[in-house]
Amino acid sequence: MVCTISGPNGNQAFDPASFAEEKVAEIRRFVGEGKAAIATSGGVDSTVCAALAHRALGDKLVCFFLDTGFMREGEAKEVGGILTSLGLPLRVLQVSDRFMEGLKGKADAESKRIAFRQTFYTVLGEAARAEGCDVLIQGTIAPDWIETAGGIKTQHNVLEQLGVDTRSAFGFRLLEPLLDLYKDQVRRLAVFLGVDLPVAQRQPFPGPGLMVRCIGEVTREKMDLLRKATRIVEGELSKLSPPPKQYFAAVAEDDRRGADERIARSAVGASGKAWYLGARATGVKGDERAYGRMVVVDPGTLSDPAELFWVTDKVIHEDWGVVRVLLSVKERDHGGYAVIVRSVETRDFMTAKPTPVPRAVLERVASSVMEDERVGLVCYDLTSKPPATVEFE
Amino acid sequence: MEIPVVFLGGQYNHLIMRALREIGVSSRRIMPKTTLEDLKGIDGLIMGGGAYSVNDGMGRFGRLPEIVERADFPVLGICLSHQLIGKLLGGEVVKGRKPEYGKTVVRVIEEDEILAGVGKEFVAWASHNDEVIRTGRERFSVLAESDCCRVEALKAAGSPIYGVQFHVEVAETPKGTEILRNFVNVCRR
Repeated sequence: MVCTISGPNGNQAFDPASFAEEKVAEIRRFVGEGKAAIATSGGVDSTVCAALAHRALGDKLVCFFLDTGFMREGEAKEVGGILTSLGLPLRVLQVSDRFMEGLKGKADAESKRIAFRQTFYTVLGEAARAEGCDVLIQGTIAPDWIETAGGIKTQHNVLEQLGVDTRSAFGFRLLEPLLDLYKDQVRRLAVFLGVDLPVAQRQPFPGPGLMVRCIGEVTREKMDLLRKATRIVEGELSKLSPPPKQYFAAVAEDDRRGADERIARSAVGASGKAWYLGARATGVKGDERAYGRMVVVDPGTLSDPAELFWVTDKVIHEDWGVVRVLLSVKERDHGGYAVIVRSVETRDFMTAKPTPVPRAVLERVASSVMEDERVGLVCYDLTSKPPATVEFE
Repeated sequence: MEIPVVFLGGQYNHLIMRALREIGVSSRRIMPKTTLEDLKGIDGLIMGGGAYSVNDGMGRFGRLPEIVERADFPVLGICLSHQLIGKLLGGEVVKGRKPEYGKTVVRVIEEDEILAGVGKEFVAWASHNDEVIRTGRERFSVLAESDCCRVEALKAAGSPIYGVQFHVEVAETPKGTEILRNFVNVCRR
């Protein structure tokens, strides 16, 4: 596994200038006379990686955007704008049908991620070969390979650390210049490379996009609901000052069933209620992957989430299989789907705590989301990382 | 000054190297099979966490038991490696009554050098299923505890071998850098 700290940067705090200099030389050496491809999602990692590779290779770099069908509203256009502002023309590949095909019938989080990865590299390998590129550069950062190698979740951009020979499997050599960095360091590198501040500060968006926020089986109806909820949640939570480090919506079937009475009692007292959701979500406990239940609690009072962060420990001490505890913000007895609001504060995404979003803000989000009659429940995720991860799958 | 980090597969092993770099200490990643001879000339050693239990066999710890026994440099074990040290020094490792995932409040019993200046109690993040307990035959002193964990920090009797159950290397443990600095100061002597 490539993760030794080396080079002139090795023994001091991160210095973007010398890091960039070192990596530009490394990229040139690695690519040699050939051409390289990069896939960017518009997120800060892949954008910074593209800017770095562009500095090293100029027009020997071909930049792709895969429209997987799991993007947010207007994403393709926005990403095109970001890359153009960096002087990088973007080739958009419309491949959503192939991703949907690969996911057919899959509800398990890891099966979905592995299917996504397979389609991703097959499509990208074809496109890169058609352009005459034999190298793929990608913006994998430290948490990606740490979580994948540790068996927490399969990040779509991790191959070599799992022993996959990319040349025989997908027909390209792989280079990952940002492997040793964490998100806060990538943002500093972004600023150094002249990436616009709004992009450098852009909140993380996972490679598999909304797929990992569409909990369980992906259907067109759930994706449609999720896109709308995402717009509402991002709109409201971005107004917080300061804005949270990451904030988004997720969707699952609302199939609440009564939880163990002990859980209800110890978590929310006699006047409260607690339910299990049917869907499972990903977590990390004691360095191990956890894929477990989500419990929804309703304390029967209109409390702010910050007053209830302690509840997660209570629930998990009653049922060790639980990975997430959700606060019910608004519910009704019809609908069929649950929308979950997630917002976290973190430096590097290896550990994270939930944002103390005011109740009033969540109420506003819930009212807007529930204008869609298909939503029966809106919750706020109270769980830190660990025991949950930031994303749901 | 050089303090290598032993990787045991845990989520925060790489963050230990980052934290050391940020306080101006050289580091490199080493594997458990590394021998004492390979470590000649180092100023100290930090051993990281990992996803298994010391009660499932010592095979995965390579040469670490020997290193803990014979090291002539200070050693800090974190999480799983804290449990390894606790077991090697006559303590017992058992399934925790209440596992800690995320925030915990650590109460200092004895500062020693490693917890100097961190206050009577502090917030730390932990992620573990097992915990170290005393047996009456243990050759370490307990430096800190929490509501869910009886030995949050320990020091070997008569040698600069330390263990912490919580993670000093994560951003959510605000006093973590200070504790690492304290360890580096122990290594400086």
